[in-house]
Amino acid sequence: MTARADPASVEARLRAIQSITDAALSGLDDHEFLAELLDRTRDILQADTAAVLLLDFSSGQLIATAAAGLEEEVRQGVRIPVGRGFAGRIAAEHKPVILDHIDHTTVLNPILWAKGIRSMMGVPMVAGGRVIGVFHVGSLSPRQFTRQDVELLQLAADRAAAAVQSMMARADRSAVESLQRSLVPSALPVIAGTDMAARYVPGSGVVGGDWYDVFTLPSGELGVVMGDVAGSGLPAAVVMGRMRSTLRAYALETSDPAEVLRRLDRKMQHFEPDAMATVLYAVIDPALDQMNVCLAGHFPPVIAQPGKPAELAPIAAGLMIGVALATSRQVTTVPIPPGALLCFFTDGLIERPGQLIDDGLERLRRAVTAEHPEVACAEVMGALVGNEPARDDIALLMIRRQPGRADGGVRPAPPLAQEEVDADD
Amino acid sequence: MTDARFPVEVMRGVPVVSGPEEIDITNADGLRVAMLEAIAHGPGTFVMDLTRTQFCDTAGLHALVAARKRAQAEGGEMLLVMPGAAVLRIFAITGLDQVFPSFASLEEALARVPGNG
Repeated sequence: MTARADPASVEARLRAIQSITDAALSGLDDHEFLAELLDRTRDILQADTAAVLLLDFSSGQLIATAAAGLEEEVRQGVRIPVGRGFAGRIAAEHKPVILDHIDHTTVLNPILWAKGIRSMMGVPMVAGGRVIGVFHVGSLSPRQFTRQDVELLQLAADRAAAAVQSMMARADRSAVESLQRSLVPSALPVIAGTDMAARYVPGSGVVGGDWYDVFTLPSGELGVVMGDVAGSGLPAAVVMGRMRSTLRAYALETSDPAEVLRRLDRKMQHFEPDAMATVLYAVIDPALDQMNVCLAGHFPPVIAQPGKPAELAPIAAGLMIGVALATSRQVTTVPIPPGALLCFFTDGLIERPGQLIDDGLERLRRAVTAEHPEVACAEVMGALVGNEPARDDIALLMIRRQPGRADGGVRPAPPLAQEEVDADD
Repeated sequence: MTDARFPVEVMRGVPVVSGPEEIDITNADGLRVAMLEAIAHGPGTFVMDLTRTQFCDTAGLHALVAARKRAQAEGGEMLLVMPGAAVLRIFAITGLDQVFPSFASLEEALARVPGNG
């Protein structure tokens, strides 16, 4: 009697499938889930070892992430290049592989043969049409894995793939949100003679690379940054964090905003050649009378004065960061009369599909008034965003020079240390 | 890999990719694949026709810049056809008009390719 015809075996197989697809598994947290799934799979297949390796897309390597009976794989941080060895072959060919001969010619990872594993079977973990990892089991005694065994393992691998993917999406999202929180603080510095307010709204589903930054310089000048890194999710947020730190570092070296952006651009093109961003950097003089602004592909600010219609500040355009080494970057000096409000923003605020950019800019210009920045921010968000979910990130920063300072608004020397919640610098 | 939305046409020996009305995060990757295919077709030079394009967000610009870098690495050039004011405006704000050779019509762009003049 063959195994296939044995009713007990069919029943056992059904129970095995149930055990893997058991809804109770879903109640576990991500790490418990993988551990439990590995244990169950090992039991069902009467195997001695089970392991999950996940593909790291940036390096093209499979990294041991969870294991049962083979914990040292995870503890030693085993990495297998796609295309090489047993797991590497499964990932490259998107096909199950069965091995009944384990040595350095068939398996790259010495732990496997040192352990005395005699037979192995592995399947790809596929999510969203692409391989995200490999699930394999091993036996310490020689054994012929069957087609049914492969099917069961594939079932377990499919469940693992779905769980891993949702786990990574959640982890990415929460990492991006913490990054955003630490890098784009909602508390702005308190600068005598000014009022400030800001808004940051992540786009629907994806957090991107928008940021703003306000800091005092040792000279008493005030640095203002608005930036937008192309892309979304964790990669864009990480680039954003690096650009923010880099810009701050160069801002300490020179108060020429064009020079700061030139150095930032050179650094980015050398170390992150695939990154691209628009950046505005303005240096406001200590008396708050004027600012020197340099644009790298970013929109100029809207400037509103009491009793006058707001206007888009006439500032020379400049090339985005990360495209080509611009031969020259221009600085434009913009006067800031008492009571004037500066409105800095990212494209998410004004760009809508099916609408011309100039229409969006015009809507913004009409919405900006030289009121207290908190009021002005609320009005602009109300007029431009309303109740629509934003597709792209929106960052908005308003700085007003307080009205009615006959002395020209000279303020005391800046404090030595700026109090700010800062993770990186 | 080819995205059916962005076929690569060969006109007078030059690969031409036609941009959609709106380029944004939802289709920028598809467009990028089409441009890479156009670059792979010949010595790197290709025409990106944005005649129909009215909107291009940062994801779209990223795809265009990446394709331009690849074309140059292959010894070629990306020739942009941009007759519309909407996209020209985006290129002016981002400064990309300073670095991208652009043309008012497909005819002018094709004439620029060596051997087609």
